[in-house]
Amino acid sequence: MIQIRGLIKQYGLNPVLRGVDLHVPAGEFVTLVGPNGAGKSTLMRIVATLLKPTAGEVKIGGWLMPQNSGRVRRHIGLVSHQTLLYGDLTAAENLQFFAKLYRLDNSDDRVAEALKRVGLAARQRDAVRTFSRGMMQRLTLARATLHEPDVLLLDEPYTGLDQDASALLDDLLRRESAKGRTILMITHDLVHGLNLCDRVAILSRGKIAQEVASGEVTGAEFLDIYAAQTGRKAGMTKANG
Amino acid sequence: MDKVDTAVSAPSSSGNQFVTAVWAIVWKDLQIEKHTRQTVSLMVMFSLVTVVMFNFALETELDAARNVATGLLWATILLAGTLGLNRSLAIERENQNIDAVLIAPIDRRAVYLAKVISVTIFTLLLEVVLVFVFVIFFNKPFWQPVVLLVLFLGTIGYVAAGVLITSMTMQTRAREVLLPILLMPLVLPLILPAATAVGEMMTVQPDMSIIRSMVSLVAAYDLVILATGLFTYHLVVES
Ligand SMILES: Nc1ncnc2c1ncn2[C@@H]1O[C@H](COP(=O)(O)OP(=O)(O)OP(=O)(O)O)[C@@H](O)[C@H]1O
Ligand SMILES: [Mg+2]
Repeated sequence: MIQIRGLIKQYGLNPVLRGVDLHVPAGEFVTLVGPNGAGKSTLMRIVATLLKPTAGEVKIGGWLMPQNSGRVRRHIGLVSHQTLLYGDLTAAENLQFFAKLYRLDNSDDRVAEALKRVGLAARQRDAVRTFSRGMMQRLTLARATLHEPDVLLLDEPYTGLDQDASALLDDLLRRESAKGRTILMITHDLVHGLNLCDRVAILSRGKIAQEVASGEVTGAEFLDIYAAQTGRKAGMTKANG
Repeated sequence: MDKVDTAVSAPSSSGNQFVTAVWAIVWKDLQIEKHTRQTVSLMVMFSLVTVVMFNFALETELDAARNVATGLLWATILLAGTLGLNRSLAIERENQNIDAVLIAPIDRRAVYLAKVISVTIFTLLLEVVLVFVFVIFFNKPFWQPVVLLVLFLGTIGYVAAGVLITSMTMQTRAREVLLPILLMPLVLPLILPAATAVGEMMTVQPDMSIIRSMVSLVAAYDLVILATGLFTYHLVVES
């Protein structure tokens, strides 16, 4: 579903991605890890059609980007660093807005259903500004999946969540994955990311250094692989997600 | 690799699609304003303070005040307008919301047009208040239809230029300061004829031929700047 070949991205003269090759088949859940500043978010913004590559090939659903980005946008859902929600609108209004943008049929039902799915039906008339981080993150996921995208992109969705909220998000993501969506997720919680997905790709020094299928290694082994590939102590990277 | 086939299978009339997208964004901006009432009240408050201060400064010479009333009206609208523009941009920057709008399957031009429409609505609301205030304070016929028409057309051009500039300066750190610095020179060709037209209407016997040519200049500016905005906005927001 996502095919990236020889992707290069430079900011000015500063090369961030130096030839990334990554293939995410339809329905697969891939986690992208790497040190701060490795270019993970940059890679994701290119896949999300928000950034243009300097060189290289990016295809989504077989369509070459960015020429066909208009075509594929309908099929992409994005959860980014920020919530992408309007604090002054209510939860329901935020979703209604995106339902209108995506021209969804019977949007009222869809919005109600989405709010229920993420457990926010009771708070739908409250301004998003008043929500906790966990509630916002769930609403963000509801927004990103409202139009039933084939590809779901998540940039550090676990940031700032406590254990309960994380467990809830795990559950929601597993369900999205079970629906057959292709998922690409960035996280700093290596072991958690490994357990949740089908495959982990390590981005280091502007390239995919290694890909690891989640069934093949234990958490400890993966931390060693990660440390070897990024030249950092694994212990330092376990911090938050 | 199978192509995403539904991608091309929803070709309902694209004009309709464009209007829906514009309306969605305008609806969202109005909804936010309904909840917060921040933009219009901020602009009105700022304008009132400006007008009252000028009135004090010029009180000794009421005639002088009357003569500068037209200029003061436009200056107030321009300055209050930048507040509206900055606020409209801040809404999209708050949580990087603009990203969610930009990855939606909509024409980028719809985003531009919608932002122009919503800021124009807020500025026109301000002008309703301002016209009342100016009629009372300066006892001049600002309520005349021709004046209102010039205000309306002038506002469209001003906001259309403003939205374009705010989107350009969006990513820079000094954006609030840059906006007026870049915008004021750009709208000079709009404000000069607009102010001339309104000023002419304040005279005892307005020369209609002057007004007609000034209004056409304003309308021409509107068309040019809107076209520029519509055709370059996608370049401005993409990187
Ligand atoms: N708009 C930009 N202009 C210039 N440089 C940028 C821009 N965005 C990112 N960079 C640079 O690109 C590099 C990669 O940034 P990116 O945000 O993709 O990293 P990341 O892997 O997501 O990091 P993190 O784990 O901290 O989120 C960094 O060195 C950053 O400074
Ligand atoms: Mg990042």
